Amino acid sequence: MIRIFSYGLVIILALGLGANWIIEKALDSHEIPLIKPVPEFSFVNHKGKSFSNDNFQNKITVLDFMFTSCTGPCPLMTLNMSKLYEAFSNEREVQFVSITVDPTTDDQKKLDEYSDLIGVHDDRWHFLWSDLDSIKGLKRDGFMLFSDNLPQGHAIKFVLIDQNGNIRKYFDGTDDSSQEILKKDIVQLLKDFRS
Amino acid sequence: MQLFRNFTLLSTGLTYILIFIGGMVRVAGAGMGCPDWPKCFGRWIPPTSLDQLPDHIDPAKFNLVLAWIEYGNRLFGALVGLSIAITLYLGLKYCSHLPRIKWPLIVAFCLTLFEGWLGSVLVKTVLNPFTITLHLFFALIIVMLLVFVAQEVYYINNTESEIHSKYPVGMKSLFTIMAIILLAEVVLGTEIRGGLEMIRKENPMIDSQFLIDMLGPFKYAHSILGILITILSVINWFVLVKISIKPSSLMVQTSTLVIILILFQIVSGEVLVFLKFMPIIQLFHLWIASWILGLISVQYVAWQRSMITND
Repeated sequence: MIRIFSYGLVIILALGLGANWIIEKALDSHEIPLIKPVPEFSFVNHKGKSFSNDNFQNKITVLDFMFTSCTGPCPLMTLNMSKLYEAFSNEREVQFVSITVDPTTDDQKKLDEYSDLIGVHDDRWHFLWSDLDSIKGLKRDGFMLFSDNLPQGHAIKFVLIDQNGNIRKYFDGTDDSSQEILKKDIVQLLKDFRS
Repeated sequence: MQLFRNFTLLSTGLTYILIFIGGMVRVAGAGMGCPDWPKCFGRWIPPTSLDQLPDHIDPAKFNLVLAWIEYGNRLFGALVGLSIAITLYLGLKYCSHLPRIKWPLIVAFCLTLFEGWLGSVLVKTVLNPFTITLHLFFALIIVMLLVFVAQEVYYINNTESEIHSKYPVGMKSLFTIMAIILLAEVVLGTEIRGGLEMIRKENPMIDSQFLIDMLGPFKYAHSILGILITILSVINWFVLVKISIKPSSLMVQTSTLVIILILFQIVSGEVLVFLKFMPIIQLFHLWIASWILGLISVQYVAWQRSMITND
């Protein structure tokens, strides 16, 4: 009986140590790569204020490309972005940026109305516009996202940018489980930034 | 027949290890390690680099460590399924005339298939907390059925067991109540875990202490049920060890072990709150609960055995 008991104890101890090692590996495995800095640009936001790459400094940013009259994947992307906007509503260092890919329709007034419509109530979410060529250039060369057939052919990615203006990771803006990973990564960047 | 006996024990042991591995996946946060099912990123062997991913899956989801933890769970699950299938085959071959062995095995096998399907639902619903609880609940039912069968098969060759012991007639109600409360306690415990995660989903930056405070009422209910189980297990020990006539050593040892394990659960439960839900303790807190359930099954079968042999 004592022999069985000690065998059991050894097995349990081994399982416990093994599991502990695996769990620690898992918790340490969330790496956020460093891709490249966002290049210089200067656009205008929905309040008519200038917004440039300098505005990424000291903020964790989630950025996407959209247009207000889009009926394809954009409503889902906007919904997901709103959820993030609400989830981090107490964190001043987390901001959201949506750049229109249809600047002829989406002027400043239209973007301002749109921000009201989806419930933006503070200055943590910026809607940017500029001329189409600058937007295309930034999207293609700055963010490495396809931009041949704008506005319809815009990317559905959310881009995570750190407090130094570096692109860190891309996420599918329409996928639920990608959103969960994005949330975790925002938390991690925020904690690193604060410490 | 000896092969069948070995397989009942093997299946029971493997299922216990699978519950442990499943709990590990949960506390390691690896449940979505493979975003598709049954394959992992469209492959039968999980990918090792980003360029092996299929186009339709977001590369942001790829994490080599989590993918292998989740896939290991699936592979081990398949192994357990195979072991239970062989056990069922052998059971039908040797014991199809014994309904007490045949039916629990058939039910255990069907539930195992159901568990596999639930695994796919979990991935599709991005780990819906209710489905997680259901997944664990049926795993506990399966392991109890397997314990039941293993012991019944043991008694076929050991006809002398429990023959001299006499236990009170009404023990069935006590075992049933204990099993039900234990299952309720496990469900409540996993709901606490699920609740923590749901709040974290809405408020990712929430402070752990604040979370624990918010879960006050749940924790309260969990503690009350815990106290109830402790009292019942002491009564159980008293009746089986002190009141019964010549209780078998199996009964005495399992009764004592149940009390020791429940003490462990009380301590580990408090440590969990104190240490802000340390993963390895969460894992053992859950796993030991499945042991207690198994021990209650063992006692139930032994008690029934003595009722039959004393008739």
